[in-house]
Amino acid sequence: MIEVKNLTKKFGRRRVLENVSFTAEKGQITCLIGINGVGKTTTLKAIMGLTPYKSGTILIDNEPISKQVYEKITFIPDAAIMPPSMTIGEALVFMQDFYSNWNNERALELLKFFNLKEEFRIAELSKGNTAKVNLLMGLAIDVDYILMDEPFSGIDIFSREQIANVFTSHLIEDRGVIITTHEINDIEHLIDKVILLDNGSVLKEFYTEEMRSQEGKSVIDVMREVYRA
Amino acid sequence: MDLSFNNRDPVYLQVVRYFKEQIAIGDLTAGQEISSRRELAGLLKINPNTAQKAYKEMEEQGLITTERNFPSRITTDEKILNAVREELILEAVSSFIASVRPIKVPLDELIKMVSEKYSQPGE
Amino acid sequence: MNHFFKLLNFEINRFIKIYASLLAIVIIIQTIGVAVVSNSFVNRANEMMMENRWTQEEFIKSNGKMSFSEFMNSFWFAGPIAIAATALIFYIFLIWYREWYGKNTFIYRLLMLPASRYSIYFAKALAIFLMVLGLVGVQILVLPLENELFKVIVPNALREVLAVKDLIYTNAITMVLIPSTFTQFLLHYSAGLMAVFTLFTAILMERSYRFKGIIFGVLYCAAVLALFSAPLFIAAMLDMGNMLYPMEFLMVEIVLGFIASVCSILIGHQLLTKKVSV
Repeated sequence: MIEVKNLTKKFGRRRVLENVSFTAEKGQITCLIGINGVGKTTTLKAIMGLTPYKSGTILIDNEPISKQVYEKITFIPDAAIMPPSMTIGEALVFMQDFYSNWNNERALELLKFFNLKEEFRIAELSKGNTAKVNLLMGLAIDVDYILMDEPFSGIDIFSREQIANVFTSHLIEDRGVIITTHEINDIEHLIDKVILLDNGSVLKEFYTEEMRSQEGKSVIDVMREVYRA
Repeated sequence: MDLSFNNRDPVYLQVVRYFKEQIAIGDLTAGQEISSRRELAGLLKINPNTAQKAYKEMEEQGLITTERNFPSRITTDEKILNAVREELILEAVSSFIASVRPIKVPLDELIKMVSEKYSQPGE
Repeated sequence: MNHFFKLLNFEINRFIKIYASLLAIVIIIQTIGVAVVSNSFVNRANEMMMENRWTQEEFIKSNGKMSFSEFMNSFWFAGPIAIAATALIFYIFLIWYREWYGKNTFIYRLLMLPASRYSIYFAKALAIFLMVLGLVGVQILVLPLENELFKVIVPNALREVLAVKDLIYTNAITMVLIPSTFTQFLLHYSAGLMAVFTLFTAILMERSYRFKGIIFGVLYCAAVLALFSAPLFIAAMLDMGNMLYPMEFLMVEIVLGFIASVCSILIGHQLLTKKVSV
């Protein structure tokens, strides 16, 4: 389980996150939704130890982030991260070199699944293919948790479909996934849990199926209530 | 499989209903092996946990049976299978009646219209 | 440790093309320089002998023989070294900033590696250091060859023959780059390494605190410089230049340099682990 407790962060005087608390379970897809920009990405970066924060506690299976924990959790930003001069194949070799739990068979399976070739150069990938390579590299490390920043935004519809298909396939196994998004439309049925953020605070945390059975509300219904209040 | 869900009813119940319809029209037959939870999630593009929950619900209702380490199958219990068909028909009829009742159509006229419409091809 | 060597290898590989071009520039420009300087001397000698109807001896009496150090004191020798040195100094910054501002933000991957952040830090520092050593090494190898070229162009009678070793010790640049004793070598290069660590810390301060960080970074560099030169100033101010023997003075500097380096490394690591933001 990923536990975020009272996470507070400032940029200069401006508060970016204020007492953000939530949990994300293994085997579930948790979705951080926020309509106004700030907060979501910063939260993921804070979980990964990629940005300092003022106060709060973040635990991953009861441990703070460390170099060992980087074999258990990975972050997929919404931009290319491997050096542009590398080919996909070289990027995979790089990953294999550093991660003791790299699963090359799975990497190759995913290459096929996404119709990508090892010879493709990172610099020449489309936005959609970049997202797929990022996801591939995250899934091929045998991590327990994957954090993805806006995996569905700004990419073509077929890439979106392929990425969504990963979430419903065996490839995701029983990993815990946290994704951020500002748009819920095509992924309502993919997610277990929703955390609604606004101006750096958590407004509501709920399970989608519970919300539907108990109150007969869709995620968008809840968003309307919460954000318009 | 092309199935669109509405966002306000629990998806797992919509999945259960989908299976009931398949049973009622005979696309799924007694004892037939059905896809794994994972496959179903992929086919319907839904969260694997939701697929799991739908299967659990169907097991509880006796619609499917799962033996350890084997794929789930549609039950061979004819009683349950017939009941599914009946349940769906009754449900549809009740909702039809509920929507037509306020118009206060005489029953003979209604039946005549239903039988005419029902035999027409198309809808 | 394993991760460190992989990172070092990675760091060197990603700069290898530019680095190879730098070495090529040094070799090519210097070789051309030897030819140009030597030829112009020979031509001038011939012209003067023609015009004044001098014998070689008379020419040598008024103009002297040419020695290879004339080339070494020219721009042809120092220029390419300066270009390579500038490029490497520039790369001390680039080796960090490229992770954030490249076409792709590699810093994400780098910081998420299951490797100690010391490995990341030292791989970068050592990559730069090895590239400096490599450059000097190439210069040492190329110098005798350039000397041979000089001998081919300038006739025996018109040139002064100096051993390569003596050439090195009479040139201001090579004296620093290739010191005569091992102790001095250690001193020069550990001072260089200390400078790299100091700049790294300043860079990481900027990366952690952005604009404020620039100020911290400049202050930090100034502080290290002040610390390092404190013995000189103190001695001068108190007018007791003779108080410390050279050896003692050296020891004081070594201790100070060591302290400064350790500080830089610890602060740098702390920033890289706790403060740096992607």
